[in-house]
Amino acid sequence: MKTIKLWRTFKEGVDNYRRNGWLTFATVSVLTLSLFIIGLTALIGFAGSLAVRNLEEKISISATFKPDVSESRILTIRDELSKYKEISSITYVSKEEALKQFLSDGNQVNADAVTAIGENPLLSSLIIRAVNPADYDLIATKLQSSSYQNEIDTVNYARNKKKIEGLNDYASRARAIGLTLGIAFTLIAILITFNTIRLTIYSHRQEFEVMRLVGASNLYIRMPLFFEGVFYGLTAAVSAVVFLTAVAFAFSRNSGPILTEILGGTTFFQVYLSFLWIFAPLTIIVGILLGVVSSHIAIRRYLKI
Amino acid sequence: MDRVKSTKRGSEPTPEPILEEELSAFVESDQSDPTSTETDAPIVPILEFDQVSKSFPGGYSAIDTVNLTILPGEFVTLVGASGAGKSTLLKLVYAEEVPTSGVVRFNGRDLTEIKRKHLPYYRRNIGTVFQDFKLLPQKTAFENIAYALEVYGKPTEDILAEVPQILELVDLDGKADNRPKQLSGGEQQRVAIARALILQPKIIIADEPTGNLDPVSAEGIIKLLLEINQLGTTVILATHNQGIVDNIGRRVVLLDHGHIVSDEMVGRYVTSERKPRPIV
Repeated sequence: MKTIKLWRTFKEGVDNYRRNGWLTFATVSVLTLSLFIIGLTALIGFAGSLAVRNLEEKISISATFKPDVSESRILTIRDELSKYKEISSITYVSKEEALKQFLSDGNQVNADAVTAIGENPLLSSLIIRAVNPADYDLIATKLQSSSYQNEIDTVNYARNKKKIEGLNDYASRARAIGLTLGIAFTLIAILITFNTIRLTIYSHRQEFEVMRLVGASNLYIRMPLFFEGVFYGLTAAVSAVVFLTAVAFAFSRNSGPILTEILGGTTFFQVYLSFLWIFAPLTIIVGILLGVVSSHIAIRRYLKI
Repeated sequence: MDRVKSTKRGSEPTPEPILEEELSAFVESDQSDPTSTETDAPIVPILEFDQVSKSFPGGYSAIDTVNLTILPGEFVTLVGASGAGKSTLLKLVYAEEVPTSGVVRFNGRDLTEIKRKHLPYYRRNIGTVFQDFKLLPQKTAFENIAYALEVYGKPTEDILAEVPQILELVDLDGKADNRPKQLSGGEQQRVAIARALILQPKIIIADEPTGNLDPVSAEGIIKLLLEINQLGTTVILATHNQGIVDNIGRRVVLLDHGHIVSDEMVGRYVTSERKPRPIV
């Protein structure tokens, strides 16, 4: 008996979904749009944080040593510095390597200048990367007040300082904005979806009265709406994922190589694909939940007796 | 219809164990055949209003200390002007409203004792017919009638067998696949009656069933209700159509401002002011 009723309410839900063409379309559209906006906000946040992390990795400070400091001395200093937990990596760049890097970009003017000088004008240096970009300030101060401060020619932190601070600032602001927008859009999406489904149910309120009079239990009246909610959520989630994929693909194709560089060598679409793994199942769950919870709450008032 | 009559309600498969008790409680006291009223055994009234009053918020009193007993198999017509309390009285029967004071009994059982979640099962004892038909617009005539059985958990093969029979009874066998919009008012009302009948209820309640119909259709509906009554079902008809009432020649209860003014076994429509009867 239970199974036959469950099957009937399921069929009833499918019929409602099919028969109420316009209403279904409107409900699914709103739900799709909501999920799409949530997805877009999340994607921008995801790509943004990836870019920030990538830029952070590119930032470093380099300590250039005076020409008379020997390589072994520099390596000793390096080993000493690597004990600090704020520092994630230290790379030693000898003056020969520095010259090679300097000439590697193929700029003829640079090459001519080096030839004119007749010797390697560059100095050996240590390139230091911090675990947390906010610590560069501390590391720079440490270097300049260390026991080997006299052996250091320059710490280029001052030059990078503005850039680093700007990035720190940007990253935290981007996170705050992304989070606020995400929460706001999610709330709006929930409210709009709830309201649309309430309207859908409102348009059927007389039918609930008829069903009750005929002797349908509240559960029997509710179940088709539950299934309807599931279908709304499912269709909307799938549509939202499809739209977002299309948008990500188009954006990825039309964006220049700069974006790929900012993202650390991966294209935007590749970033999207790694995002999709979490996003798609989550959207489907959220979509179904939105549909089901909305219809559940909305119908309550019509089933008082 | 003979086949339909021979099926005992109590033997119907019921979805939940509690429900079985609930239903049998209503059925047990109703073993007497409503048509053989001449036996000496005391008959349990199918419906009993005992000092029933119903007032709405704001102090408006729709029903005021009404006492009314209806026996199984009766055909009772409730008459009275709009606002006299007919609809409220009927709503108390199918438990859409709860009395402010007094007791309404169905088959000897106080309706307020029924738990809210069991009300749908109780309502299956009562067929309802309304002025506005109350059909589901998205469903065909067949589906509308079948719905009452589906809700009840009836096996599909039984539904496929029973619905065409009842459609034939109300003379709509050719219109099974029409939606309410494709049917005339009289046809829609016959679908509604068929739906009310399909669960073989103890009582059919008809609240202004002819209110939206032309005189010919209205006459057809009343004839159908009388036929149903002849097969043993109690019918309570609320109307203010005087021509109809006078032609039925059955018990008439006149309501005025929530009071029963008169109750005659073979009644005519008479208002308390004895107005001349207009031609309908």
